[in-house]
Amino acid sequence: MAHEALFKPIQIGKLTIRNRVVSTAHAEVYATDGGMTTDRYVKYYEEKSKGGCGLCICGGSSPVSIDSPQQWWSSVNVSTDRIIPHFQNLADAVHKHGGKIMIQITHMGRRSRWDGHNWSTLMSPSGIREPVHRATCKTIEEEEIWRVISDFAQGARRVKEGGLDGCELSAVHQHLIDQFWSPRVNKRTDQWGGSFENRMRFGMEVLKAVRAEVGEDFCVGMRICGDEFHPDGLSQDDMKEIAAYYDATGMVDFFGVVGSGCDTHDTLANVIPNMSYPPEPFLHLAAGIKEVVSVPVIHAQNIKDPTQAERVLEGGYVDLVGMTRAHIADPHLIAKIKAGQTDQIRQCVGANYCIDRQYQGLDVLCIQNAATSREYLGLPHVIEKSTGPERKVVVVGGGPGGMEAARVAAERGHDVTLFEAEPQLGGQITLAARAPQRDQIAGITRWYEMELSRLGVDIQLETRADDSTIRDLQPDIVVLANGGHPFLEQVPEWGYSDNSDESLVVSSWDILSGKVEPAKNVLIYDTMCEFSGMSTADYCASQGATVEIVTDDTKPGVAIGGTTFPTYYRSLYQKAVVMTGDLALHKVYREGDKLVAVLENEYTGEHEERVIDQVIVENGVRPDEGLYYALKDRSRNHGQIDLEALYAIKPQPTLAESGDFALFRLGDCVAPRNTHAAIYDALRLCMHL
Amino acid sequence: MLQTLLPILIFTALAVGAIGAARRIRLWRRGRRSPMRWQRLLRMPKRYLNDLHHVVARDKAMAHTHVATAGGFVAAMALAIVVHGFGWHGPILGGLLLAASIVMFVGALAVNRRRLNPPAKLSKGPWQRLSKSLLAYSVGMFLVSLPLVGVAPTTLGGGALVLVLTLLVAWGLLEMIVGMGWGGPMKHAFAGSLHLAFHRRPERFDDQHGEPQSTNPHDVHRGSRSTALFPLDLAAPKLGVEKPSDFQWEQLLGFDACVQCGRCQAVCPAFAAGQPLNPKKLIQDMVVGMAGGTDARYAGSGYPGIDVGKHHGSSASPIVPQLVEAETLWACTTCRACVEECPMMIEHVDAIVDMRRFITLEMGETPEKGAAAIDNLIATDNPGGLDNASRLDWAADLDLDRIKDRPEGVDVLLWLGDGAFDMRNQRTLRALVKILRAGGVDFAVLGEEERDSGDVARRLGDEATFQRLAERNIATLSRYRFRRIVTADPHSFHVIGREYPAFGGTFEILHHSTFMAELFEAGRLSVGVNPHSETVTYHDPCYLGRYNGEFAAPRQLLAALGLEVAEMARSGYRSRCCGGGGGAALSDVPGKARIPDMRMEDVRETGATTVAVACPQCTAMLEGVVEPRPQIRDLAELVAEALIEPGFDEVVATAPTPARAKVQPDEEIPA
Repeated sequence: MAHEALFKPIQIGKLTIRNRVVSTAHAEVYATDGGMTTDRYVKYYEEKSKGGCGLCICGGSSPVSIDSPQQWWSSVNVSTDRIIPHFQNLADAVHKHGGKIMIQITHMGRRSRWDGHNWSTLMSPSGIREPVHRATCKTIEEEEIWRVISDFAQGARRVKEGGLDGCELSAVHQHLIDQFWSPRVNKRTDQWGGSFENRMRFGMEVLKAVRAEVGEDFCVGMRICGDEFHPDGLSQDDMKEIAAYYDATGMVDFFGVVGSGCDTHDTLANVIPNMSYPPEPFLHLAAGIKEVVSVPVIHAQNIKDPTQAERVLEGGYVDLVGMTRAHIADPHLIAKIKAGQTDQIRQCVGANYCIDRQYQGLDVLCIQNAATSREYLGLPHVIEKSTGPERKVVVVGGGPGGMEAARVAAERGHDVTLFEAEPQLGGQITLAARAPQRDQIAGITRWYEMELSRLGVDIQLETRADDSTIRDLQPDIVVLANGGHPFLEQVPEWGYSDNSDESLVVSSWDILSGKVEPAKNVLIYDTMCEFSGMSTADYCASQGATVEIVTDDTKPGVAIGGTTFPTYYRSLYQKAVVMTGDLALHKVYREGDKLVAVLENEYTGEHEERVIDQVIVENGVRPDEGLYYALKDRSRNHGQIDLEALYAIKPQPTLAESGDFALFRLGDCVAPRNTHAAIYDALRLCMHL
Repeated sequence: MLQTLLPILIFTALAVGAIGAARRIRLWRRGRRSPMRWQRLLRMPKRYLNDLHHVVARDKAMAHTHVATAGGFVAAMALAIVVHGFGWHGPILGGLLLAASIVMFVGALAVNRRRLNPPAKLSKGPWQRLSKSLLAYSVGMFLVSLPLVGVAPTTLGGGALVLVLTLLVAWGLLEMIVGMGWGGPMKHAFAGSLHLAFHRRPERFDDQHGEPQSTNPHDVHRGSRSTALFPLDLAAPKLGVEKPSDFQWEQLLGFDACVQCGRCQAVCPAFAAGQPLNPKKLIQDMVVGMAGGTDARYAGSGYPGIDVGKHHGSSASPIVPQLVEAETLWACTTCRACVEECPMMIEHVDAIVDMRRFITLEMGETPEKGAAAIDNLIATDNPGGLDNASRLDWAADLDLDRIKDRPEGVDVLLWLGDGAFDMRNQRTLRALVKILRAGGVDFAVLGEEERDSGDVARRLGDEATFQRLAERNIATLSRYRFRRIVTADPHSFHVIGREYPAFGGTFEILHHSTFMAELFEAGRLSVGVNPHSETVTYHDPCYLGRYNGEFAAPRQLLAALGLEVAEMARSGYRSRCCGGGGGAALSDVPGKARIPDMRMEDVRETGATTVAVACPQCTAMLEGVVEPRPQIRDLAELVAEALIEPGFDEVVATAPTPARAKVQPDEEIPA
């Protein structure tokens, strides 16, 4: 049998989990109404259970105490009994489909922000500042320690009373328990610091109090780190000792292991490994913990595909695999494996759009699956076939928006033709995937290609659709997702020209597409500070160029999320790329066989010059609107999307009207936004076709 | 002069024929003996007119032809003995003889016309001659009898004419009477009649039971479906059939009854797939083996890929490989299509399994994957070699009752079958659980106490493993209280229901289609209407349909779901096998095509987008056909999907390949 190890049920404590796949604890940022697990939250987890996930551990970092702020990340508030009925809804929804659900509970200690909401004073064993959140804190006092221990017990009680299947104590990510463990931040000399036993004491008292409150039969686990990766922090050997110590109490039903600490930007990037990491990079750390404990061990981190998960389990490294982002990308992952439809799994590509939003306090969304966490709005993971008339749908542009529009329209049962000017699908994803360590983003296109082929969409590559090609197909619906072009003409002084021999600047697209070779000495001017500029710099440097990347913003890459800019920085610093902030590209001119770039300081207005071989400008995308205006007047809706209907996830009124075709446009051909925006618009628009 | 010659001819023919017949009987008696019950001969006429004719009548034209020819001949011969043999001349008898000759002549003309351009399934050789002989006999008998009614002079002209007529009648008698005893085509009448009387499966005949004829229009089968394999005495000195003489004598008699009509060949899935099996040739090889000689005189289609004329045998020499290659025996799916079609009611599958038993039990030469499955069955009680305790892994989240925890008993024991280990079939089982719950059925499962039913082991010839599994399952089942067993696996259904009784296990078992139909009839399931008009077709599993006669319930279910059913040309009792039965999927004998691909072509011809199935094996085989193809859904899945109260809701097969998907028929497959 295929995936035998994956589908082997397992006992955790008194609980039977139907398979070995876990959606591990992560902050969802969906707990609204003061940290309650309301509709959106419930439906998000219900979908995973419906899709076959064995165990969901929800509520990453759900605080048990009121001084551990909940609001920043809309975390689940376990500090109040008000949560109990909400838990009951959540438990029922998950249990209905055979899944199990637990929650992670914690006190975050110094790992938060104090400058809002209740303006809490953060606490830590020795009052040492946390750099990622720039969080200063006080030294926790004995009374506060006992209060928090009791808060843990009360939190666990609420979890149990709410009917969830268990709770996971967070002793990871430098929360209060592991702040006590780590000599890096615990400098105490009283009974809560110093010796191993003393550093263990807080966690042990929490565990005892929780056990005393919930009894022997309720499932209680601990999530721990495998190695803090700091010379003054906890090593793998330390963590093995700690795990064995707690395991020996017999009070822990399972361990979740996360490789790497995360109280610096650099270590934080390890925790949710993006696409630059190899598969399961920290499995060995979890396997090390498994060696010394007697209960099941769960490990997540870059386990994305069923075969990989099966291999991890078959090897006996751990007992359960966390496939958390994999479930964000496709909550029906398990159902598809069981249905023999592994080819239809929308696989996580490690773009980390989800987690990078979370770190900004924004709701977790998937870069490629716009239905995830929008189940409560009625956005479907399985597109129902239309019962209405079959329509001829023409989609122009094979980027993410166009591919999603074509997919959804085809799933609805329509006859779909997709035009793409390039020889392959993907749009800007194809460019993005050319950069070092970014190739996996092409997984988005790969999935669409397979789906579109399965759905029988007529794909016309290397075909630039115009008014007459579209007219010839006599479409009922035309969806334009034809993108734009690099916006180099904005500042005439940059010297951009359509004639590539005359142009003084080239675009990041020219470089990444391979159309223009990077020169020896390169200046990249990046106004966006996102992936494109950093990827171009990384690409040029990897091709042997000497690179300086300059921005008028504060620092190159500053708009990239917290789990991804560190991996860019690692790569760029390693290749000696110079990153310069606060300089705007004022002008480019030719001098002999060199170019001179005149840079103007944002704050002083002073000019400085660089003599280089090539100037690459990344100034975002300018929409291509020509085709739209050629079609607009003839279309029955004049190209207008009814926003009321769109935002309410309702059919466009024009679908019920007659006349010539209806015209919609999405993605960068309207205004440059991002992959998720294009896909979301495509889904909510086309799901009603 | 004719009046002198005719009695001599007739009685000589009868005498020579009788000598031949005696020799033939001696050949049959080389088989294993069983007590002779002569009174069984009395059953023969009715069985011929009723049971056998019913099979023949599936081909109306052929049935009429046979009635005329055979009826005409029997009457003409009987009258000829009286009239010409004993000389009881008279216009009335003469007139009857003339009439019988005319009837026979008309039949013979039809036979002759069929033989002008014979379909591929027919054997040629002596059978081509037979139609001429029939004409000769009927014309000859007609002409020599004309004087009896005064139409022609009693002397009938000169010597030349007498000579011609004598030769004509002699030719006819030689074929019809002498040939009957000496192994000519007419042997079929002699052996066939006796075979009807002494058939090893008397239950197949109406005279053995009071069962009313099936009212189901799909089930044209008459009599009971006697389809259980015969138990093998494991203490016997030799297990299975090695040599022709190891067959029961009734089996040898049955082989000899073959008319080489090729109906078996026409329906055999292995033959159609170009695998080295042709049931007709196999039966003829058995005849060659029994009588001794080579297959060189065989004048029909051979085993695909194996030349005719290179094999030989005798009643006392091993059949495999000098007479029949082992791969011929392993190609059989035990689908019983041949048996179902055979007008002579020959039991091909019994013979094949008998020979497999010898290969497996005495030679230990089961094909590799089959042997592995058997080894697994011996070690783990399931063919996959999986931990038997994991039989319920798929249901970890369903909280199914174990029967051991229900000492008070349950209404239904759900028999899972080995599909419980297969991810695809687990979807079917989950759907079935959902239905049982929606229908408020009180049920439980055996869980890890359930073992493989023994089906595959038995069909692969390993009767010892089968009997061990059967005995242990019977012991387990006997420990618990339940009213009925329900299973989604027709193989378990057949084996437990029909084959366990011989080992002391009598349980009421229903296939899930029957049980679900019952739930519908009792109003215990309510279903919604499918919003998409969809055409489905239904594939009858061999072990449900042909083996057990359940053709109606699945169709009732589909009707209850409001689905439009487009029947395949080969459906019901003529359903084409999926290729997965009898261990054929394990022995995996190569051919030119794959049986499931051919079956999928049958499906495609109906234009259906979904093929409803009712067997884990069929599901697996048909899903092995490359996409794009119609989707394969078990009846339970279709019912579960339509349930109004879904209960335990889960995402199942998420997005099937739509019919729209492009097929590129012209795409060349690189060699």
